Amino acid sequence: MNLFQTVFTGSKQALAAAEGLVAKAVEEKGRDCKVAFPDTAYSLPVIYAATGKKITTVAELEGALDIVRSLIVEEEMLDKLLNSGLATAVAAEIVEAAKYVLSDAPYAAPCAGFVSDPIIRSLGVPLVTGDIPGVAVVLGECPDAESAAKVIKDYQSKGLLTFLVGKVIDQAIEANVKMGLELRVIPLGYDVTSVIHVVTVAIRAALIFGGVKPGNLAEVLQYCSDRVPAFVNAFGPLSELVVSAGAGAIALGFPVVTDQTVTEVPTLLLTQKDYDKVVKTSLEARKIKIKITEIPIPVAFAAAFEGERIRKND
Amino acid sequence: MSEEKVISVDQTTLQMLDKAKNEGLETAWDRKVAQKAACGFGSAGVCCRNCTMGPCRVSPVPGKGAERGICGATADVIVARNFARMVAGGAAAHADHGRSIVLELLHASPNGAIQVKDEKKLKKVAARFGIETEGRDVYDVAHELAQAGLRDFGRQEGHIVLPPTVPAKRKEIWEKLDIVPRGFDREVVAIMHSTHIGCMADAEAILKMGLRCGLADGWLGSYMATEFSDIMFGTPHSRPTEASLGVLEHNQVNIVLHGHEPVLSEMIVAAAEMPEMIELAKSQGADGINLCGMCCTANEATMRHGVKLAGNFMQQELAVITGAVDALVVDVQCIFPALAKLSESYHTKFITTSPKARITGATHMEMDEAAPLKTGIAVVKEAIMNFKNRDKSKVMIPEAKTKAEVGYSTEEILNKLDGVVNSHIGPMQSTKPLADVIVAGVIRGAAGVVGCNNPKTVHDEGHLEVIKGLIKNDIIVVTTGCAAQAAAKAGLLTKEAKELAGPGLKKVCELVDIPPVLHMGSCVDISRILELVGMTANQLGVDISDLPVVGIAPEYMSEKAISIGNYVVASGIDTWLGVVPPVTGGPEVVDILTNRIEEWVGAKFFVETDPHKTVEQIVNRVNEKRKKLGI
Ligand code: SF4
Ligand code: SF4
Repeated sequence: MNLFQTVFTGSKQALAAAEGLVAKAVEEKGRDCKVAFPDTAYSLPVIYAATGKKITTVAELEGALDIVRSLIVEEEMLDKLLNSGLATAVAAEIVEAAKYVLSDAPYAAPCAGFVSDPIIRSLGVPLVTGDIPGVAVVLGECPDAESAAKVIKDYQSKGLLTFLVGKVIDQAIEANVKMGLELRVIPLGYDVTSVIHVVTVAIRAALIFGGVKPGNLAEVLQYCSDRVPAFVNAFGPLSELVVSAGAGAIALGFPVVTDQTVTEVPTLLLTQKDYDKVVKTSLEARKIKIKITEIPIPVAFAAAFEGERIRKND
Repeated sequence: MSEEKVISVDQTTLQMLDKAKNEGLETAWDRKVAQKAACGFGSAGVCCRNCTMGPCRVSPVPGKGAERGICGATADVIVARNFARMVAGGAAAHADHGRSIVLELLHASPNGAIQVKDEKKLKKVAARFGIETEGRDVYDVAHELAQAGLRDFGRQEGHIVLPPTVPAKRKEIWEKLDIVPRGFDREVVAIMHSTHIGCMADAEAILKMGLRCGLADGWLGSYMATEFSDIMFGTPHSRPTEASLGVLEHNQVNIVLHGHEPVLSEMIVAAAEMPEMIELAKSQGADGINLCGMCCTANEATMRHGVKLAGNFMQQELAVITGAVDALVVDVQCIFPALAKLSESYHTKFITTSPKARITGATHMEMDEAAPLKTGIAVVKEAIMNFKNRDKSKVMIPEAKTKAEVGYSTEEILNKLDGVVNSHIGPMQSTKPLADVIVAGVIRGAAGVVGCNNPKTVHDEGHLEVIKGLIKNDIIVVTTGCAAQAAAKAGLLTKEAKELAGPGLKKVCELVDIPPVLHMGSCVDISRILELVGMTANQLGVDISDLPVVGIAPEYMSEKAISIGNYVVASGIDTWLGVVPPVTGGPEVVDILTNRIEEWVGAKFFVETDPHKTVEQIVNRVNEKRKKLGI
């Protein structure tokens, strides 16, 4: 299957998943049931940024499926491909919102799920000063816990903010990676769709710090591309859904580096099979220069550890 | 002009044609009208003059009228023979062009006017000819390389040295068809022989000879001309220039270089940069020396020095008609003999320099091969001294000029592509990024838009409509020859032109920092396109005919263009012709060229005079090829 067809297929799968979950929400909670993510003034941030409209009820959530449909135009041109990626993002947000409708606490430790506005505000300053030089989204599954930990710890030692999605969370735990907001490693969730919670971080950054008007999608994308130094590492076999989500990342200006053989697109979609080089490859792809000089001491030393309390038995 | 049919989409051309009319001067367009309707037999290719039993003309309609010439040759045989002779004519032009260049390398010396400028390229080309370079004197290598090159022109046994950019599968196809060229000159002679009366009388076999001769042009004659020019004069890199007749200057000595061989333009560029020449110009009341070019010499000089592009083929007379050209210096090929008479109406000195192209009425200042710079200086002086004769009352320089970026040799394209390669992944200096974006579908394919102008078409319209249509459909365009100049004048050779491109190509232009249309040089530099396409095919491990790549000559006119078309198709690249070639009288020939040839080489000719339909057909064909490749 060519890259375009893979992305279109993934987007249609995302749409089907969203339709399924929304139908379930309608059935279980009714169309008048409230829809909201916790602690945010931006409703469903992706949809809000794209359309300027706040989704407040399940009925409106159902209506938002049309946004997804309208973004999937199966014509083999780059703009259609990127839109299809955005369709997957919107569908993922609908799925995640439905999860919050269907359950009061869809996420439990270690997973964070939706990231609240106050957290984003707290990240604003270090992002602007370059204290957080980048945002890594590590998704999928590495061949073993060790290689996963190596990559994540490397980001951590460089002060990047790392979000984990999928099995890699378990691998990080297994390899004793220390996690938490202060440690700049945040496990989001096990489903691919939970990756949307980092997308909304970038999008809310555009609305909060960039002052971009909701509804001005082009400007939101431009802000993310210019100002949010994020990128994606997708490990392990890639489903069509993941690839189409990757197209969404690319639409936001975030390059995707994977350990799988894919149809590469220079600077945007890259294959790096050597785990020792994943970090360097990703930083170069996103043009991230690390301000802090690495100090060759046995313990990884960086801003990410500032919040860490040394416990007695360590 | 308004009451007549549109002649050109170039405003300066229309302005100058008005001026010509007012001054009672004749141009190619007038002569085209004077020719009235062209002979139908010649247009269909069914007229033969290959012996004095003839001329014979047979009916272009099968089953009606005379079906055979006196010797018994059928319409198909006559058409095929005529077509093959066009190939031979075109190939011969490129052969002689290549030969001069190789001879120049043979005479290159460390203190001479012609030196080795690009040692790296010398080593690369020497290696492909199997010449040892380690620890050897650069000029020894250069001379041995020149000898090896010359051998391939006159080779009598075996086959020419094919560059490594020919994919293995392509070579197999050529071997199976027996169209691997032997010596270059030999292939031209072979056609002239076999098309003699009473020789070859089988359309299919004649056309195959044409393919073989074409291949000798593309992968040897032109290929070497380009490589060796780069070795001596430097490999082009991207640089800015300006285009249009408006590049002529009111108070400078305007020298227009026209023709083909780079040695002339190189020597004149060198001479015009000499402080004493600039002083001399000032002493004559000029502000300086303004070098501009036309046709392929312009392309050579602009690729390496950023020399301004005054215009393309159909504009050569118009440059003179501005009244501002102090010297029009030419060497060989595509030079209207009409220029001699036309320049009498102005002060313009029309100077021929090559013994291969003497023109009655011109001032002949023959290029001294042993001391070429001397000739360059003499020509520039002649131009300077002619400045004071300019009649200002007759001068009219159009206001228009357009910025352009030129200099995209294969090497420069690879350098640009390096900019998007992740240094932790690599490899550098490869066509992988190009192959990647094609495979991914970010750009749908690549097209070479090349060739001439032809008064049968609206001047520059075909070039521009095809190019704009293609880039809009995310097909990246490389261009050479007079097509490149059309693009330059229209502003398509700028980075800003990315706004006219489709979303994928636009993105690629931004990432790689290039215009959507890349000027790759002169007509012989189409070999650069072959090189790039061959490398991309090798990169992907496929044959050239598998790639979504096409060639188009929207306004071609010369036999060289026919030879080019033959080697492009033989290389596996579908080729669109915007002017109908003289083959329509031979049904079998038409069937072979536009249909059966695909079974032989995986590509064929398309004849389409409507540029918009051309774009549509290309997009469909590109998508077909993509589907077959599974991309
Ligand atoms: S070669 Fe044959 S067809 Fe041609 S002019 Fe002679 S007799 Fe006529
Ligand atoms: S493109 Fe055609 S007209 Fe122009 S220089 Fe080349 S052969 Fe001559």
